[in-house]
Amino acid sequence: MKVTLFTTCIVDMFRSNVGKATVELLERLGCEIEFPESQVCCGQPAYNSGYVKESKEAMKRMIETFSNAEYVVSPSGSCAYMFHEYPHIFAGDPVWEPKAKALAERTYELTQFIVDILKIEDVGAKLEGTATYHTSCHMTRLLGVKEPPIILLKNVKGLKFTELPGKEQCCGFGGTFSVKMAQISEQMVDEKVRHVEETGAEYLIGADAACLMNIGGRMGRLEKPIKVMHIAEVLNSR
Amino acid sequence: MAMKIGTEQFKERVDNGLNDEFMRGAVASAQDGMSLKRRAVTTDELGNWEEWRNHAEEIRQHVLEHLDFYLEQLSENVAKRGGHVFFAQTKEDANEYIRSVVQMKKAKKIVKSKSMVTEEISLNAMLQEEGCEVVETDLGEYILQLDDHDSPSHIVVPALHKNKEQIREVFAEKLGYTKTSKPEELAYQARVTLREKFLEADLGITGCNFAVAETGSFSLVTNEGNADLVTALAKTQITVMGMERIVPTFEEMEILVSMLTRNAVGQKLTSYITVLTGPREDLDVDGPEEFHLVIVDNGRSDILGGEFQSVLQCIRCAACINVCPVYRQIGGHSYGSIYPGPIGAVLTPLLGGYDEYKELPYASTLCGACTEVCPVKIPLHNLLLKHREMIVEKEGKAPVSEKLLMKAFGLGAASPTLYKIGSKLAPTALNPFTSGDKISKGVGPLKAWTEARDFPAPNKERFRDWFKSREKGDK
Amino acid sequence: MVGTIQNRDQFLNQIANRLNRPRITIPIERPNWKYQPQYDVFKDTSQDELLEILKKQCKIIHTKIFTTDLAGLPGVVNDVVTEYGGGPVVTWKDERFSKWGLDPLMKQQWPAHNIELFEWDYTLGDENIHKAENANVGITISEITLAESGTVVLFSDKDKGRTVSFLPATSIMLIPKSSLVPRITQAAVKMREIFQETGHVASCINFITGPSNSADIELNLVVGVHGPIKATYIVIHDL
Repeated sequence: MKVTLFTTCIVDMFRSNVGKATVELLERLGCEIEFPESQVCCGQPAYNSGYVKESKEAMKRMIETFSNAEYVVSPSGSCAYMFHEYPHIFAGDPVWEPKAKALAERTYELTQFIVDILKIEDVGAKLEGTATYHTSCHMTRLLGVKEPPIILLKNVKGLKFTELPGKEQCCGFGGTFSVKMAQISEQMVDEKVRHVEETGAEYLIGADAACLMNIGGRMGRLEKPIKVMHIAEVLNSR
Repeated sequence: MAMKIGTEQFKERVDNGLNDEFMRGAVASAQDGMSLKRRAVTTDELGNWEEWRNHAEEIRQHVLEHLDFYLEQLSENVAKRGGHVFFAQTKEDANEYIRSVVQMKKAKKIVKSKSMVTEEISLNAMLQEEGCEVVETDLGEYILQLDDHDSPSHIVVPALHKNKEQIREVFAEKLGYTKTSKPEELAYQARVTLREKFLEADLGITGCNFAVAETGSFSLVTNEGNADLVTALAKTQITVMGMERIVPTFEEMEILVSMLTRNAVGQKLTSYITVLTGPREDLDVDGPEEFHLVIVDNGRSDILGGEFQSVLQCIRCAACINVCPVYRQIGGHSYGSIYPGPIGAVLTPLLGGYDEYKELPYASTLCGACTEVCPVKIPLHNLLLKHREMIVEKEGKAPVSEKLLMKAFGLGAASPTLYKIGSKLAPTALNPFTSGDKISKGVGPLKAWTEARDFPAPNKERFRDWFKSREKGDK
Repeated sequence: MVGTIQNRDQFLNQIANRLNRPRITIPIERPNWKYQPQYDVFKDTSQDELLEILKKQCKIIHTKIFTTDLAGLPGVVNDVVTEYGGGPVVTWKDERFSKWGLDPLMKQQWPAHNIELFEWDYTLGDENIHKAENANVGITISEITLAESGTVVLFSDKDKGRTVSFLPATSIMLIPKSSLVPRITQAAVKMREIFQETGHVASCINFITGPSNSADIELNLVVGVHGPIKATYIVIHDL
């Protein structure tokens, strides 16, 4: 199966290990990976700040970049969701709406792709330790992907899974919110860190690099000894 | 009290909120408790919960699309039963009409049951100008009123930010109360004091949960029973309703009342749901002799027909407030409006303007928790985004530095070449701030981030470089 | 007497204008709604099953519930009144009390034991309210009873004062078992039917679910705020 990777700019620049793990994992599951060089950012930061005009240029670029893909897979629920939002953003545009729709229909978040398309629930991963999982808001609520990451994690050998209290609560990232309303964001992420600590887990796992950057960044500052891992990295552990 | 509360700027209000330990604890435990209760009687109990939401949504949308028809029908039917209907375009119109009724009736003692729209139009201020004693009879509102007109911080539980010790002090000072801070004892004191007020009132004022067009009725939803006493004992009754709070028949009223009570307080129905039609009938002993219905626009019609129309579907249940992670940290007063939380962040700028309230649409992470719970399916987080777009593109009210940054983003993100150069240079550009694999003291937009968090240093080898060299067979 | 309507046209024109269409002049038919989940709740449930649902719900709403047949009714009513501390008692003027065999209790036994009984009498005007205000117990009859929420529905009229159910310190509601329906849906349908048949709606229809309460102080539930502090339902089996 041919998979076109949409890595997201955060992974490309700051979390290249997540991208590498995604490639290795999908290849191991029998996929052939393609990475179009012309991909940039999905436009979400500008779009969510109200700069719709500016963000549309980026979106058009992405639609064209992925126009020939069979399956577009992204290790980020939020960025994959953004592709699903494109048809609404271009609603009424005779040229771009159909193209946006076609892209949205072929776009999957990584764990969703593995469970729903590849029909694999156990990827044969192994990781010793206790872990908890942060359910990212965009991935669960807006993209509607709830079960797949949990199914996959529960099948990781050696991993003891504990549920995160208040898991439905946002970590306080919110894109530019984290800098625009930094004070509020700090209180939100602090509560999230307290909840992570309560679980006693060694690993905090998530499927969105942005949320992990936020929670991990706060835990780093507070010198909490909890290791942050993207789910691609966990599923790629042997 | 008008819609606007307090005089501080947004930033200052948030500071106050974040520093109020009691309030934050109270809000957090209220949110957790309310969410459990709500889930028990919504998604858990009703397996087809989405169908309920869909039905509530279709009712609200239908009503808004045909609002002029239903308001006309309502007014005909109220008049048929001997009630008087006044359509008030502005809050001034509403106040002037109510003033004329007060003067005609020579009313001096007024009891009120909880109503957001009367707060919105500053009704109490006018009534006090007229020399009337106005008593709020909802326990929470009564506490706030006694405490020198403190502002509500939640639309269902207005005194959520106050603890029982603070309430005891207020009662001691204003009512000569001498007992303890036990909620039962405090509530009993309120019962005794307010019972007198109910019995001596010459005018009762209520809001309206849902008016029923077909019969000219309207419903009031309470747990305390105060709305019943307000409407049963005074000789004159005035009901003030926001113009969108209407349904076609009892059958739609039933659905929305069910959605309201389940989502607002996690109850299948509240203790009192009172459906009133007209003034008392000829031989009735209780109920008002005279009934006035004031239907208020006050900026609502400007919302109709536009991109924000769906906000008028709101039934004021506060489910969005009870799940909002931002409200959880900053509390209701931070919003500077009687309508806090996600619904407030959408509605307040529409009714009060961007000049006063341009920060509110940004007080959200767009996590979508509000949209997920809304029983009438208002796309709240999308409307917040819509506000941001208006502020940036139509109003030009965004900060210059942000505009420049976003322009640069627009260029960089749309152009692979620029993106490639920019992202490649990032590690070098950020090198002075980097120690090991993190940045602890950033500048520019990173400064706010690194006040509380580390930021990852950019990878020396980007993912795309790795992939390319791997394809070439280097790795 | 017909009431007045002021400022209507200007107001409604503005709405139509905003909605970008002319005023609606032809009556709108009630839509065929796409979703109707309300009828699925306790569908095909027997009266006995509804009674069990009601009993369970009463625990949640802080309300005592007794079941009895007509023969036992006076005894149960008397026990509850005694437990609530006796009179004064206020009731509607309703021939059903007599029909259900409560006359000996209300008109002989209670007066003999100094339990004052006042029956609503509209010819006495405000005296009724004074009596209700000073009563210890108010007794009313549920016309429709909602099993799901544990709610009684009271319709006011000249003989059935609204205040009987909320001014006295405690409240007793008599519930003919046949008045049980699954939920508020069936009550709404019936209210519409009555309106369509008679062209009339009672000036006050009250849905009462247990005693009054409030959670306004630190979200602590306080039972008994403005309305009754305690409430008891008595379900009558053979009605």
